Amino acid sequence: MDTENLLKELEQLFQEVLKKGSVILTVDTTANDVEGWDSLTNMLLISAIEKKYTIHFGFREIVKLKKVGDLCTAIILKSK
Amino acid sequence: MSFISLSFVAFFVCVLLLYYAVNSKYQKSILLLASCFFIGYYHISFLLTVLVISFMTFYFGKLIASTQQDKKIRWLYFSSVSLLIIVWLVLRYPEGMESVVNRVFPLIDLPWRVSQHSVLFPLGISFYTFQAISYLTEIYWGEEEPENNVFDFLLYMLFFMKFLSGPIERPSGLLHQLKEKKEFNYDMVTFGLKLMFIGLMKKVVLADNMAPYLDGMYGSLHDASGMQLVMTCLLYPIQLYADFSGYTDIALGGAAMFGFNLTPNFDRPFISKTTAELWRRWHMSLSFWVRDYVYIPLTSETRGWGRWGISFSLLVTFISLGIWHGAGWNYAMYGLIQGVIITYEMQTANFHARLADKLGKSLYNGLSIVRTYLLFALSLIFFRAESFHDAIYFLTHMSFSINHSWKELNIGMSDHNCVVAGITLVLMLVYEHYNSKQNIIELVSKKNTAVRWIIYYVLAFALFTMGGFNTDTFVYLQF
Repeated sequence: MDTENLLKELEQLFQEVLKKGSVILTVDTTANDVEGWDSLTNMLLISAIEKKYTIHFGFREIVKLKKVGDLCTAIILKSK
Repeated sequence: MSFISLSFVAFFVCVLLLYYAVNSKYQKSILLLASCFFIGYYHISFLLTVLVISFMTFYFGKLIASTQQDKKIRWLYFSSVSLLIIVWLVLRYPEGMESVVNRVFPLIDLPWRVSQHSVLFPLGISFYTFQAISYLTEIYWGEEEPENNVFDFLLYMLFFMKFLSGPIERPSGLLHQLKEKKEFNYDMVTFGLKLMFIGLMKKVVLADNMAPYLDGMYGSLHDASGMQLVMTCLLYPIQLYADFSGYTDIALGGAAMFGFNLTPNFDRPFISKTTAELWRRWHMSLSFWVRDYVYIPLTSETRGWGRWGISFSLLVTFISLGIWHGAGWNYAMYGLIQGVIITYEMQTANFHARLADKLGKSLYNGLSIVRTYLLFALSLIFFRAESFHDAIYFLTHMSFSINHSWKELNIGMSDHNCVVAGITLVLMLVYEHYNSKQNIIELVSKKNTAVRWIIYYVLAFALFTMGGFNTDTFVYLQF
C-alpha cells in the first residue's frame, strides 16, 4: 500500500463519515483544513479507519496523529 | 489582595519596577517571590497547599518520564492524577467528602470532624490542580518533556497574574515562555496596561453596575414578578461575561506587562450560532481542557459505539464541567443542559443545514445566535441559583406578568445605571467586533498624541465617575 493510493481511499472514507461531497487530503492536511473534521467527528473517522483496515490504535498513538501524513504512516505500519 | 484594590496596585507597580530594574537572571526569582507573597497574603495555608501540590507534580512528572516499562508508567500516571483529584476534592468539598467516607466506611471513626471546624477553601486550587493534571498528562502522552528547573515549574504553577481564576495554562504555553529572556518592551508594556484598563472598564462599569440588582433578584426570588425573572435571566449572562472576561483581560494585560502571553479565555461568545461554538468561545482554557483531557479520551474508549459514544462522552464531559463549579445538583444540571444541547445539535446537523438553505443564511444565522444566547441564559439559572430548588422555582415562575408597573423591567436599577450599563455594553460589543478584525489598542496607539490622550482621559473619566466600585471580588474567585 503506497501513500498516494491510501490518500485516495481516505478521501472516500472521509466523505462518507463527514457526509461531504468532496474532501481533498494531502500528507500535510490537518483537521483545521477539512470542514466538519472536529472533536465531534474525529473518533468516528478513527473508528471507521480501524474497521476498514482491521487495525487498532492505542489512545497515546491517536494523540500523536497531528496530520494526515502521520495517519498514513501509522496505517501502513500497522497493516504490514 | 483583589485585582481591584489599592494594595494590589501598589504591589503590582513595585514588582514591575523591580522586575525590569534587576539583572535579567533574577527576573524570574522576583516573580516567584512576588507570587508567593501574593498567595501568602491571602492566607499562609493557601501558599503551603500550592507549594505541596507543585512539588508533588514536579517529582511525579520526572518519575513518569524516567520510567521505562509501559505498565509502570501507566500506573504512575493514574496514581498521581488520582492523588491530585482526591486532594482537590477533599479541599474543595470537605463536608461532602467526610460524608462519603462515613457512608463507605461506617465503622471508621474519623478523629477530626469537618463540620466542627472552619475549613478554608484554598483560592485558585481548581485552576492550578487542572494545570498540574495537564502537565502530567502531556508528559504521559509523550507530548512534553518534564521540566528540569523546579523554580520555573513553581512559577508556572504560582504566577500571581493567573493564580486566582486562571486562565488554565498548558506547559506548551507558559512553561515554554519562561525559558525566554524578557527585556523591557515599551509596546508590550503599554499594550498590557491598556488591556488591564479595558478589563477594569468591563468589570466596574458594566458588571458592577448590574451585579447588586441581579444579586438582589436571586436573593429574593419569591418577591420578584414573572417579568423581573425574565429580565434577570436575560441580563445575567452579560454580567457574568463582563465580570469574568474583565478579570481575564486584567490577568492577560498584567502578564503582558511582564512579557508573557497568557491563554485567551473568551472570543466573542455571544455571536455563537450553536452551543458547541459557544463553548469554543466561552471560558476557553477550561472548555479546551475538558475537551482534551476528559472528552477525547472518553470518545476514544467509546468509539466502538459510533455516534452514541460521542453523545455519552459529551454528557459525561459537560456534567464534569458543571460539577467543577460546585457540588450541587444545580451545577450538574447546568453541565447536563450543555451536553444535551450539543448532542442534539450534532444529531440534527443535516436538518439544520437544510433549514439554513430554506431560510437564507443571514436570517438563519441571526435566529441561531438568538437561540444560542437564550438557551445559555436559561442554563445559567442553574449556575447562578443558590440551589436546584431555587432554579426550578425561577424557571417555573418566569412569565410576562408584572406586580406593579412596567418599571419593574429594570429589576430595580436606576435610570442612570441602566444608561451607563447599556452604553458600556454596546461599546464593549462594538470594540470586540472591530478588535477581531484589527487590533484596536494598536490602532489607537498609532493616532497622534492629542487624539490618543483625549481617548485615554475620556475613558479614565468614565471609569472613575461611572464605575460601580462597590465590590472588589470576582464571580469566578469562588471556584
